[in-house]
Amino acid sequence: MSEMDSMGIYTDGSDTQEGKYMTFRSGQEYFGLEIRYVQQILRYQAVTMIPETEDYIKGLINLRGRIIPVVDVGVRFKQGQCEYNDKTCILVINVKSTTVGLVVEQIAEVVEISKEDILPPPSLGRGDRAHNKYVYGIGKVGNTVKLLIDPEKLLYDEDPAEAEREKKNEEE
Amino acid sequence: MAEDFNTDSMLDMYLFENGQLLEQLQETVLEQKDADSFDEDSINEIFRTMHTIKGSSGIMMFDNITAVSHKLEDVFFYLRESHPDHVPHVELVEHVLEVEDFISSEMEKIRGGDTPDGDATDLIKNLDAFLNKIKNGGGEAGKTVPEPVHEEPKHFYIAPVASSASRFYKIFVHFFPGTEMSNVHAYKIVYALKEIAEDILYSPEDILTDEKCADIILKDGFRVLLQAQCTEEDVRELIGVGYDIEKVDVYECDADQFLLGFDFGDDQPLKVIDLESSVEEIEAKQEEGDKEENGEAKAKEPEKPKLSPGDFVIQSKEPGKQKKLAKDKPKTEKASFISVNVAKMDQLMDLIGELVISESVVLQSSDLKVPGLNLDNFNKAAAQLSSISRDLQNVIMSMRMVPLTNTFQKMNRIVFDVSRKLGKDIEFVMVGESTEVDKNIIEHISDPLMHLVRNAVDHGIETNEERKESNKTEKGKVTLSARTEAGKVWISVEDNGKGLDREKIMAKARKQGLLDDSKPESAYTDKEVYQFITLPGFSTNEQVTEYSGRGVGMDVVVQNIQAIGGTLEIESTPGLGSTMSLKIPLTLAIIDGIVMETGTSSFVMETGVIKKFIRVKQDMMINEPNGDEYVMIRGECYPVIRLGKWYGLTDYQESVEDGVMLILEVEDRKICLLVDKLVGEQEIVVKPIPSYIKKVKGLSGCTQLGDGSIALILDAPGLVE
Repeated sequence: MSEMDSMGIYTDGSDTQEGKYMTFRSGQEYFGLEIRYVQQILRYQAVTMIPETEDYIKGLINLRGRIIPVVDVGVRFKQGQCEYNDKTCILVINVKSTTVGLVVEQIAEVVEISKEDILPPPSLGRGDRAHNKYVYGIGKVGNTVKLLIDPEKLLYDEDPAEAEREKKNEEE
Repeated sequence: MAEDFNTDSMLDMYLFENGQLLEQLQETVLEQKDADSFDEDSINEIFRTMHTIKGSSGIMMFDNITAVSHKLEDVFFYLRESHPDHVPHVELVEHVLEVEDFISSEMEKIRGGDTPDGDATDLIKNLDAFLNKIKNGGGEAGKTVPEPVHEEPKHFYIAPVASSASRFYKIFVHFFPGTEMSNVHAYKIVYALKEIAEDILYSPEDILTDEKCADIILKDGFRVLLQAQCTEEDVRELIGVGYDIEKVDVYECDADQFLLGFDFGDDQPLKVIDLESSVEEIEAKQEEGDKEENGEAKAKEPEKPKLSPGDFVIQSKEPGKQKKLAKDKPKTEKASFISVNVAKMDQLMDLIGELVISESVVLQSSDLKVPGLNLDNFNKAAAQLSSISRDLQNVIMSMRMVPLTNTFQKMNRIVFDVSRKLGKDIEFVMVGESTEVDKNIIEHISDPLMHLVRNAVDHGIETNEERKESNKTEKGKVTLSARTEAGKVWISVEDNGKGLDREKIMAKARKQGLLDDSKPESAYTDKEVYQFITLPGFSTNEQVTEYSGRGVGMDVVVQNIQAIGGTLEIESTPGLGSTMSLKIPLTLAIIDGIVMETGTSSFVMETGVIKKFIRVKQDMMINEPNGDEYVMIRGECYPVIRLGKWYGLTDYQESVEDGVMLILEVEDRKICLLVDKLVGEQEIVVKPIPSYIKKVKGLSGCTQLGDGSIALILDAPGLVE
């Protein structure tokens, strides 16, 4: 039900969502996320931590009767944990019927980026993959750029380091 | 085909309805599998079921299903009309079940989006052979059998509710020559007219099941007799003039003319059928050229109270009067059901949970604690609200409860199949199948139960010869029983076979190196020995049969049962049989739990596993050098888990004297769990931890507490491991 309510705002015409991106700041950079994934934005609230999970999973929150996991984008991007203040928001996104909250430092605005303004991410050829693999493109908005992230990768991609560690554990 | 039909929903309806019919069919058949023959009611029921399936499959164009159901319908038509003697009953039962299996598997394909392409030729051949056999076998007794019923004229029945305002119409519809599937178009018209019809009759009658009538419709036109309270224009509008309809003629007539039927050059006058006679009579009458007297039909009527609606037109003799319909007759007490999407139920459940929580937020609001407020009226209203929301919660819980009947019926089928294949003579008894269990749980116990029942039939019960040798006079018997006890459901599978062979199990365990060398073999209790068979890869059956003996099974059973918080108990007496009992929770959705806090987190533990709360002194603790801790309580030594340390929490009580020890007991193993403090006991609505988060050992779910915060549910078996 909650989806219907909140999605109703956005789904009045799928065309209007095309090319629109929700942007937010994490660390020094601005990221963009296709708006069709975004379900709602919450003010940061207390999160119930879950033991023995990855460090970027902050825990659980109660979204009107549904319990959803919360991921800290900063930690996920290896930018380090930010300080939670009144600018901190939880961006509730829905990817392939999984609902997850993203903790972001600051919500910016909704911008329109046309396809021509999206460039593939520069490949630096250095071991920078950990940071870049969630970013599928760079969107130009005026003089600024937004890193466009692929939410599926953001949620599901194994950290290379993490995967190695796990492999080791399994071998043991 | 017809663009007005939403084939998706038609398909859903088809699958749903026929699925139910088949289930019922199997139930009926299995109920009477041990009798000498089917009774008349069942024969009629099976006949009708097959007839309905044939009809609907025909519409959906599932030809193989149509063909098979048609064949079985023929068989039962013969049985019904000729009452042959010497019908090999068991063979008949098998045939019916085969057909049922075939249709079910085809429907499974349809459900999965595939085309039902199963080959039915063998099945049909077998049925033909069987039909010939009983025809010849019962030749002397049998009367000449009229044509199979599917060729008999059939009409669609719509309840006539006539009043003086009713008007009568004769309608001719002519389609353009060459119209494809004019019968379907004709059905569209009937479908549209049904909305307004008090009584409707049309010719040709068999428009849906007989494709030949498409030609007749094209040649002679489609004729409808309609009784309705509307004007000619309305009728025309409903029929519409589509690209396929050449001409529509509507003539108004009076009731008498209406009764005369299609007197417009019809060489095959419609029979007027008494409304009160049941379907069987009507058919019988039609077959015998309407020779039968009405009175006779009436006299027979009480014997056959069932009527399957929708199959036949029953023309009212006095359309002007309110008729008492066969439908209104007292039916066999059957509750009416609607099927609801489980997701919607879950949503409702979530919302009610939310409601209960926000209710407590409102009622315990700190605003109410201002001194000097007069809250008498508020409190009254609040009490009312609480009682309503509690009722709501109970209702939604009861909605999720489903009787075990269907699951048990399935087992009946398995016993039947397996015992026939193995040549064992086995009686199957069900006790307490109406016990209600949460739907989610039923889904989880079906497979384990199947394993247990198979095992009982295959391993448990001896072959007929073995039974004779050991002087067992009674028949092999498998009893499946269910009962509720202390908030748990006990389901047991009991057999009177040879029982578990302790020596064999021990020998196998020794071979697999499962025995503890330091323990003499005689020191193993029976219970411990029987537990071995629940280990993976453990089977004492030397011979692998189709059903069991591969050594997978019991461990899967145990795993499945543990997954829903249940346990398996094994009892056995050599030579007398064994009993496997599943003890499972009544529901997964709500548990009684103790809420406690450690550090900044709240946890919930199911009340049932907590044996004791105790405060301990530091000097009761025993520390091992490797970091393991034990506590001595009244002479017993328990391993200790500090919840805070276990999960790496912060700010938890370091000293055991500040915290509370919980003694947990899971399957005879006891441990102590140290938490900071207890909050209270309450009913907990269990929610799964979102699947995005990997499974954490010792956590089985989460829940919302009264203040909206989230607590994690501890899973005692997980902690004990």
